[in-house]
Amino acid sequence: KPLPTFQPSHLSLSLSTLTDLIGSAVIRWRGDMFSFVSPCAAPALAVTGPGLLPQPDQEDGLEEQPPGLFDGFLWMAAPKKRRTIEVNRTRRRADSKLLKVKNNIEPCPECGHLKQKHILCGFCYAKVCKETSMIRQQIKAAEGGPLRAPTVETVVLYEGETPSEQDKDKRIVERSRKRPAWFS
Amino acid sequence: FLLVFYPPSQTSLQVTGSRWRSSAALMSPHHTSASLESKNWEKRNRKVFPPQLPDEIRRPAEIHHSRRQIKYSKDKMWYLAKMIRGMSIDQAIAQLEFNDKKGAKIMKEVLLEAQEMAVKHHNVEYKSNLYVAESFSGKGMYLKRIRYHGRGMFGIMDKVYCNYFVKLVEGSPPKAEEKTSFDQAKEYVQSLKNRTIIHSL
Repeated sequence: KPLPTFQPSHLSLSLSTLTDLIGSAVIRWRGDMFSFVSPCAAPALAVTGPGLLPQPDQEDGLEEQPPGLFDGFLWMAAPKKRRTIEVNRTRRRADSKLLKVKNNIEPCPECGHLKQKHILCGFCYAKVCKETSMIRQQIKAAEGGPLRAPTVETVVLYEGETPSEQDKDKRIVERSRKRPAWFS
Repeated sequence: FLLVFYPPSQTSLQVTGSRWRSSAALMSPHHTSASLESKNWEKRNRKVFPPQLPDEIRRPAEIHHSRRQIKYSKDKMWYLAKMIRGMSIDQAIAQLEFNDKKGAKIMKEVLLEAQEMAVKHHNVEYKSNLYVAESFSGKGMYLKRIRYHGRGMFGIMDKVYCNYFVKLVEGSPPKAEEKTSFDQAKEYVQSLKNRTIIHSL
Protein backbone atom coordinates (compact mmCIF):
# COMPACT_ATOMS: atom_id res chain seq x y z
CA LYS A 1 0.00 0.00 0.00
CA PRO A 2 1.76 3.19 -1.11
CA LEU A 3 2.31 5.85 1.49
CA PRO A 4 0.53 9.12 0.86
CA THR A 5 3.05 11.90 0.34
CA PHE A 6 2.78 15.60 0.97
CA GLN A 7 3.11 17.90 -1.99
CA PRO A 8 3.95 21.23 -0.44
CA SER A 9 6.33 22.04 -3.28
CA HIS A 10 3.50 23.32 -5.44
CA LEU A 11 3.22 26.40 -3.21
CA SER A 12 6.75 27.68 -3.80
CA LEU A 13 6.74 26.61 -7.42
CA SER A 14 3.66 28.65 -8.27
CA LEU A 15 5.20 31.72 -6.62
CA SER A 16 8.39 31.37 -8.57
CA THR A 17 6.60 30.69 -11.82
CA LEU A 18 4.48 33.78 -11.28
CA THR A 19 7.45 36.01 -10.55
CA ASP A 20 9.26 34.52 -13.53
CA LEU A 21 6.25 35.30 -15.66
CA ILE A 22 6.00 38.93 -14.67
CA GLY A 23 9.73 39.38 -15.11
CA SER A 24 12.72 40.18 -13.03
CA ALA A 25 12.34 43.95 -13.49
CA VAL A 26 9.01 44.03 -11.66
CA ILE A 27 9.34 44.39 -7.96
CA ARG A 28 6.99 42.95 -5.38
CA TRP A 29 5.51 45.67 -3.34
CA ARG A 30 2.96 44.05 -1.11
CA GLY A 31 3.43 40.51 0.04
CA ASP A 32 -0.13 39.96 1.14
CA MET A 33 -1.51 40.00 -2.38
CA PHE A 34 -1.03 36.32 -2.99
CA SER A 35 -3.45 34.85 -0.54
CA PHE A 36 -4.83 32.43 -3.08
CA VAL A 37 -1.60 30.45 -3.02
CA SER A 38 -2.44 28.33 0.01
CA PRO A 39 -5.01 25.70 -0.80
CA CYS A 40 -5.55 22.74 1.48
CA ALA A 41 -2.26 20.92 1.88
CA ALA A 42 -3.73 17.58 2.69
CA PRO A 43 -1.83 14.44 1.71
CA ALA A 44 -2.28 13.43 -1.90
CA LEU A 45 -0.94 10.67 -4.07
CA ALA A 46 2.38 11.55 -5.66
CA VAL A 47 1.85 9.32 -8.67
CA THR A 48 -1.20 9.67 -10.87
CA GLY A 49 -1.86 7.96 -14.12
CA PRO A 50 -4.16 5.69 -16.01
CA GLY A 51 -2.26 2.51 -15.08
CA LEU A 52 -3.05 2.56 -11.36
CA LEU A 53 -5.40 0.13 -9.67
CA PRO A 54 -8.17 1.90 -7.79
CA GLN A 55 -7.12 2.26 -4.17
CA PRO A 56 -9.76 2.06 -1.46
CA ASP A 57 -8.56 5.12 0.49
CA GLN A 58 -7.43 7.49 -2.27
CA GLU A 59 -8.75 11.03 -2.13
CA ASP A 60 -7.81 12.29 -5.53
CA GLY A 61 -11.34 13.50 -6.10
CA LEU A 62 -10.77 16.30 -3.60
CA GLU A 63 -7.41 17.62 -4.70
CA GLU A 64 -7.25 17.20 -8.48
CA GLN A 65 -4.29 19.34 -9.37
CA PRO A 66 -4.76 21.41 -12.52
CA PRO A 67 -3.03 19.34 -15.20
CA GLY A 68 -1.38 22.28 -16.92
CA LEU A 69 0.61 23.65 -13.95
CA PHE A 70 3.86 21.90 -14.62
CA ASP A 71 2.82 18.49 -15.90
CA GLY A 72 1.64 19.85 -19.23
CA PHE A 73 4.23 20.66 -21.84
CA LEU A 74 2.78 24.06 -22.80
CA TRP A 75 2.26 26.07 -19.63
CA MET A 76 4.03 29.30 -20.62
CA ALA A 77 6.84 29.74 -23.11
CA ALA A 78 9.89 31.22 -21.42
CA PRO A 79 13.47 31.63 -22.59
CA LYS A 80 15.76 28.94 -21.29
CA LYS A 81 18.99 30.88 -21.44
CA ARG A 82 20.02 34.49 -21.76
CA ARG A 83 20.70 35.48 -25.33
CA THR A 84 24.33 36.53 -25.56
CA ILE A 85 25.27 39.91 -26.94
CA GLU A 86 26.88 38.22 -29.96
CA VAL A 87 23.62 36.47 -30.83
CA ASN A 88 21.69 39.69 -30.25
CA ARG A 89 24.07 41.68 -32.42
CA THR A 90 23.87 39.27 -35.35
CA ARG A 91 20.08 39.52 -35.20
CA ARG A 92 19.94 43.31 -34.84
CA ARG A 93 22.61 43.99 -37.44
CA ALA A 94 21.39 41.54 -40.06
CA ASP A 95 21.38 42.93 -43.54
CA SER A 96 17.58 43.00 -43.68
CA LYS A 97 17.46 45.26 -40.60
CA LEU A 98 20.05 47.78 -41.73
CA LEU A 99 18.83 50.94 -43.43
CA LYS A 100 18.87 50.93 -47.22
CA VAL A 101 20.62 53.68 -49.14
CA LYS A 102 18.17 55.51 -51.42
CA ASN A 103 19.17 55.94 -55.04
CA ASN A 104 16.20 58.06 -56.17
CA ILE A 105 17.37 61.44 -54.86
CA GLU A 106 18.06 64.14 -57.44
CA PRO A 107 18.22 67.95 -57.49
CA CYS A 108 15.07 69.86 -58.41
CA PRO A 109 15.54 71.64 -61.77
CA GLU A 110 13.58 74.67 -60.58
CA CYS A 111 15.18 75.56 -57.25
CA GLY A 112 18.19 73.23 -56.91
CA HIS A 113 17.12 71.69 -53.63
CA LEU A 114 17.12 67.90 -53.39
CA LYS A 115 13.96 65.96 -54.10
CA GLN A 116 12.90 62.36 -54.55
CA LYS A 117 12.04 61.40 -58.13
CA HIS A 118 8.39 60.53 -57.54
CA ILE A 119 7.66 63.28 -54.99
CA LEU A 120 7.22 67.04 -55.43
CA CYS A 121 10.10 69.25 -54.41
CA GLY A 122 9.53 70.36 -50.80
CA PHE A 123 10.85 73.87 -51.32
CA CYS A 124 8.78 74.55 -54.43
CA TYR A 125 5.67 73.14 -52.74
CA ALA A 126 6.27 75.34 -49.71
CA LYS A 127 6.57 78.49 -51.83
CA VAL A 128 3.34 77.63 -53.64
CA CYS A 129 1.62 77.03 -50.29
CA LYS A 130 2.78 80.41 -49.02
CA GLU A 131 1.43 82.30 -52.03
CA THR A 132 -1.83 80.33 -51.84
CA SER A 133 -2.32 81.31 -48.21
CA MET A 134 -1.77 85.00 -49.09
CA ILE A 135 -4.43 84.71 -51.82
CA ARG A 136 -6.77 83.02 -49.37
CA GLN A 137 -6.23 85.82 -46.86
CA GLN A 138 -7.23 88.34 -49.54
CA ILE A 139 -10.36 86.33 -50.30
CA LYS A 140 -11.20 86.12 -46.60
CA ALA A 141 -10.84 89.89 -46.27
CA ALA A 142 -13.03 90.42 -49.32
CA GLU A 143 -15.78 88.04 -48.20
CA GLY A 144 -15.78 89.21 -44.59
CA GLY A 145 -17.35 86.10 -43.10
CA PRO A 146 -18.11 82.41 -43.58
CA LEU A 147 -20.39 81.02 -46.32
CA ARG A 148 -20.24 84.17 -48.47
CA ALA A 149 -18.40 82.80 -51.48
CA PRO A 150 -19.85 84.16 -54.72
CA THR A 151 -21.24 81.75 -57.24
CA VAL A 152 -18.82 82.82 -59.94
CA GLU A 153 -15.27 81.79 -60.70
CA THR A 154 -12.32 83.57 -59.18
CA VAL A 155 -9.30 84.96 -60.99
CA VAL A 156 -6.11 86.25 -59.35
CA LEU A 157 -4.55 89.39 -60.81
CA TYR A 158 -1.16 90.75 -59.87
CA GLU A 159 0.29 94.25 -60.14
CA GLY A 160 -0.21 95.94 -63.45
CA GLU A 161 -2.60 93.35 -64.84
CA THR A 162 -6.04 94.10 -66.23
CA PRO A 163 -8.88 91.63 -66.50
CA SER A 164 -9.07 90.13 -69.97
CA GLU A 165 -12.16 89.19 -72.03
CA GLN A 166 -12.50 85.80 -70.36
CA ASP A 167 -12.38 87.36 -66.88
CA LYS A 168 -15.53 89.45 -67.40
CA ASP A 169 -17.91 87.58 -65.10
CA LYS A 170 -15.38 86.34 -62.62
CA ARG A 171 -14.57 87.56 -59.15
CA ILE A 172 -11.20 89.32 -59.13
CA VAL A 173 -8.69 88.88 -56.32
CA GLU A 174 -5.92 91.47 -56.34
CA ARG A 175 -2.44 90.68 -55.06
CA SER A 176 -0.09 93.58 -54.58
CA ARG A 177 3.05 92.03 -55.92
CA LYS A 178 4.63 91.02 -59.18
CA ARG A 179 3.32 87.82 -60.75
CA PRO A 180 5.56 84.91 -59.67
CA ALA A 181 7.38 83.16 -62.46
CA TRP A 182 5.82 79.80 -61.74
CA PHE A 183 2.20 81.12 -61.80
CA SER A 184 1.50 81.06 -65.51
CA PHE B 1 6.74 42.53 3.49
CA LEU B 2 9.15 42.13 0.64
CA LEU B 3 10.64 45.30 -0.73
CA VAL B 4 13.38 45.10 -3.30
CA PHE B 5 14.11 48.70 -4.06
CA TYR B 6 16.61 49.95 -6.58
CA PRO B 7 19.25 51.76 -4.49
CA PRO B 8 19.29 55.39 -5.57
CA SER B 9 22.96 56.15 -5.82
CA GLN B 10 24.06 59.70 -6.22
CA THR B 11 25.03 59.37 -9.83
CA SER B 12 22.19 57.19 -11.16
CA LEU B 13 19.29 59.48 -10.20
CA GLN B 14 21.17 62.69 -10.96
CA VAL B 15 19.32 65.14 -13.15
CA THR B 16 21.35 66.23 -16.13
CA GLY B 17 21.24 69.92 -15.23
CA SER B 18 23.08 69.73 -11.91
CA ARG B 19 26.75 69.05 -12.55
CA TRP B 20 28.45 70.52 -9.51
CA ARG B 21 31.18 67.93 -9.09
CA SER B 22 34.13 70.21 -8.86
CA SER B 23 35.72 69.25 -5.55
CA ALA B 24 37.33 65.90 -4.94
CA ALA B 25 35.29 65.35 -1.77
CA LEU B 26 32.08 65.14 -3.79
CA MET B 27 33.37 62.46 -6.17
CA SER B 28 31.04 59.49 -6.27
CA PRO B 29 32.56 56.12 -5.32
CA HIS B 30 31.23 54.52 -8.50
CA HIS B 31 33.21 56.46 -11.09
CA THR B 32 36.90 56.78 -10.38
CA SER B 33 37.86 58.19 -13.78
CA ALA B 34 36.56 61.51 -15.01
CA SER B 35 34.20 59.72 -17.41
CA LEU B 36 31.13 61.73 -16.52
CA GLU B 37 32.55 65.17 -17.24
CA SER B 38 35.19 64.52 -19.88
CA LYS B 39 34.38 65.51 -23.44
CA ASN B 40 37.26 63.75 -25.10
CA TRP B 41 35.77 63.84 -28.57
CA GLU B 42 35.68 67.62 -28.67
CA LYS B 43 39.20 67.81 -27.23
CA ARG B 44 40.49 66.02 -30.32
CA ASN B 45 39.85 69.17 -32.32
CA ARG B 46 42.42 70.98 -30.19
CA LYS B 47 45.25 68.64 -31.06
CA VAL B 48 48.04 70.54 -32.78
CA PHE B 49 50.57 68.77 -35.00
CA PRO B 50 54.09 70.11 -35.62
CA PRO B 51 54.51 71.87 -38.97
CA GLN B 52 54.93 69.46 -41.86
CA LEU B 53 58.12 69.26 -43.87
CA PRO B 54 57.82 70.32 -47.53
CA ASP B 55 58.25 66.79 -48.85
CA GLU B 56 55.79 65.11 -46.48
CA ILE B 57 52.36 64.06 -47.74
CA ARG B 58 49.81 66.66 -46.66
CA ARG B 59 47.87 65.48 -43.64
CA PRO B 60 44.10 65.78 -44.38
CA ALA B 61 42.06 68.00 -42.06
CA GLU B 62 40.02 66.15 -39.44
CA ILE B 63 36.97 67.63 -37.77
CA HIS B 64 35.45 66.00 -34.69
CA HIS B 65 31.92 67.02 -33.77
CA SER B 66 29.27 65.64 -31.47
CA ARG B 67 25.92 66.37 -29.94
CA ARG B 68 25.10 65.24 -26.40
CA GLN B 69 21.90 64.23 -24.69
CA ILE B 70 19.75 63.70 -27.77
CA LYS B 71 16.30 62.42 -26.78
CA TYR B 72 16.53 59.26 -28.86
CA SER B 73 17.66 55.68 -28.40
CA LYS B 74 21.33 54.85 -29.02
CA ASP B 75 20.37 51.59 -30.75
CA LYS B 76 18.06 53.37 -33.18
CA MET B 77 20.67 56.08 -33.78
CA TRP B 78 23.23 53.38 -34.56
CA TYR B 79 21.38 52.34 -37.72
CA LEU B 80 21.61 55.87 -39.12
CA ALA B 81 25.23 56.22 -38.05
CA LYS B 82 26.06 52.91 -39.75
CA MET B 83 24.31 54.01 -42.94
CA ILE B 84 26.38 57.17 -43.41
CA ARG B 85 29.78 55.69 -42.52
CA GLY B 86 32.19 56.20 -45.39
CA MET B 87 29.87 58.44 -47.42
CA SER B 88 30.80 61.86 -48.73
CA ILE B 89 29.15 64.61 -46.72
CA ASP B 90 26.79 65.63 -49.53
CA GLN B 91 25.59 62.08 -50.01
CA ALA B 92 25.18 61.66 -46.24
CA ILE B 93 23.12 64.84 -45.93
CA ALA B 94 20.96 63.80 -48.90
CA GLN B 95 20.26 60.37 -47.39
CA LEU B 96 19.43 61.81 -43.99
CA GLU B 97 17.12 64.42 -45.49
CA PHE B 98 14.85 61.77 -46.97
CA ASN B 99 14.97 59.35 -44.07
CA ASP B 100 11.84 59.34 -41.94
CA LYS B 101 13.49 58.64 -38.59
CA LYS B 102 13.61 61.24 -35.82
CA GLY B 103 17.36 60.86 -35.42
CA ALA B 104 17.94 61.64 -39.10
CA LYS B 105 16.92 65.28 -38.70
CA ILE B 106 19.20 65.73 -35.67
CA MET B 107 22.07 63.97 -37.41
CA LYS B 108 21.70 66.20 -40.47
CA GLU B 109 21.94 69.29 -38.24
CA VAL B 110 25.10 67.89 -36.64
CA LEU B 111 26.67 67.25 -40.05
CA LEU B 112 25.84 70.74 -41.29
CA GLU B 113 27.30 72.26 -38.12
CA ALA B 114 30.45 70.20 -38.56
CA GLN B 115 30.73 71.26 -42.20
CA GLU B 116 30.45 74.92 -41.22
CA MET B 117 33.05 74.44 -38.47
CA ALA B 118 35.35 72.80 -40.96
CA VAL B 119 35.24 75.72 -43.38
CA LYS B 120 35.44 78.43 -40.72
CA HIS B 121 37.95 77.07 -38.20
CA HIS B 122 39.74 74.05 -39.66
CA ASN B 123 41.09 75.48 -42.91
CA VAL B 124 39.02 73.32 -45.24
CA GLU B 125 38.84 74.89 -48.67
CA TYR B 126 35.80 73.22 -50.25
CA LYS B 127 32.89 72.29 -48.06
CA SER B 128 31.96 69.37 -50.29
CA ASN B 129 35.44 67.87 -50.15
CA LEU B 130 34.68 66.09 -46.86
CA TYR B 131 33.70 62.54 -46.05
CA VAL B 132 32.41 60.80 -42.93
CA ALA B 133 35.33 58.84 -41.53
CA GLU B 134 33.79 57.83 -38.22
CA SER B 135 30.20 58.01 -37.05
CA PHE B 136 28.75 56.32 -34.01
CA SER B 137 26.28 56.77 -31.18
CA GLY B 138 26.71 56.31 -27.45
CA LYS B 139 24.53 56.22 -24.38
CA GLY B 140 23.73 59.51 -22.66
CA MET B 141 22.61 60.06 -19.08
CA TYR B 142 19.24 58.41 -18.54
CA LEU B 143 16.38 59.59 -16.36
CA LYS B 144 14.49 56.96 -14.40
CA ARG B 145 10.74 56.84 -14.04
CA ILE B 146 8.24 54.39 -12.55
CA ARG B 147 6.11 52.27 -14.83
CA TYR B 148 3.00 50.97 -13.10
CA HIS B 149 2.00 47.34 -13.69
CA GLY B 150 -1.04 45.51 -12.33
CA ARG B 151 -1.39 44.22 -8.79
CA GLY B 152 0.71 46.91 -7.22
CA MET B 153 3.83 45.90 -9.12
CA PHE B 154 6.08 48.48 -10.66
CA GLY B 155 9.05 48.59 -12.90
CA ILE B 156 11.67 51.25 -13.43
CA MET B 157 11.50 52.86 -16.86
CA ASP B 158 14.51 54.52 -18.44
CA LYS B 159 14.04 57.76 -20.36
CA VAL B 160 16.79 57.21 -22.88
CA TYR B 161 19.19 59.79 -24.21
CA CYS B 162 22.05 59.29 -26.64
CA ASN B 163 25.15 61.09 -27.84
CA TYR B 164 26.16 61.21 -31.47
CA PHE B 165 29.79 61.54 -32.62
CA VAL B 166 31.06 62.21 -36.12
CA LYS B 167 34.51 62.72 -37.61
CA LEU B 168 34.82 64.41 -40.99
CA VAL B 169 38.03 64.16 -42.98
CA GLU B 170 38.96 66.30 -45.95
CA GLY B 171 39.23 64.54 -49.25
CA SER B 172 37.18 62.15 -51.31
CA PRO B 173 35.78 59.05 -49.58
CA PRO B 174 38.05 56.01 -49.73
CA LYS B 175 36.84 53.33 -52.14
CA ALA B 176 35.86 50.07 -50.53
CA GLU B 177 38.06 47.38 -52.00
CA GLU B 178 36.06 44.87 -53.95
CA LYS B 179 37.50 41.42 -53.62
CA THR B 180 36.42 38.88 -56.18
CA SER B 181 35.58 35.37 -55.06
CA PHE B 182 38.57 34.05 -57.00
CA ASP B 183 40.88 36.33 -55.01
CA GLN B 184 39.37 35.19 -51.76
CA ALA B 185 39.79 31.55 -52.74
CA LYS B 186 43.41 32.21 -53.72
CA GLU B 187 44.05 33.84 -50.36
CA TYR B 188 42.53 30.89 -48.55
CA VAL B 189 44.69 28.42 -50.40
CA GLN B 190 47.75 30.56 -49.69
CA SER B 191 46.94 30.67 -45.96
CA LEU B 192 46.75 26.89 -45.96
CA LYS B 193 50.10 26.65 -47.72
CA ASN B 194 51.71 29.05 -45.22
CA ARG B 195 51.12 26.75 -42.31
CA THR B 196 54.28 25.31 -40.79
CA ILE B 197 54.66 22.29 -38.59
CA ILE B 198 56.34 23.26 -35.37
CA HIS B 199 59.04 21.15 -33.74
CA SER B 200 59.60 19.32 -37.01
CA LEU B 201 62.89 18.19 -38.46
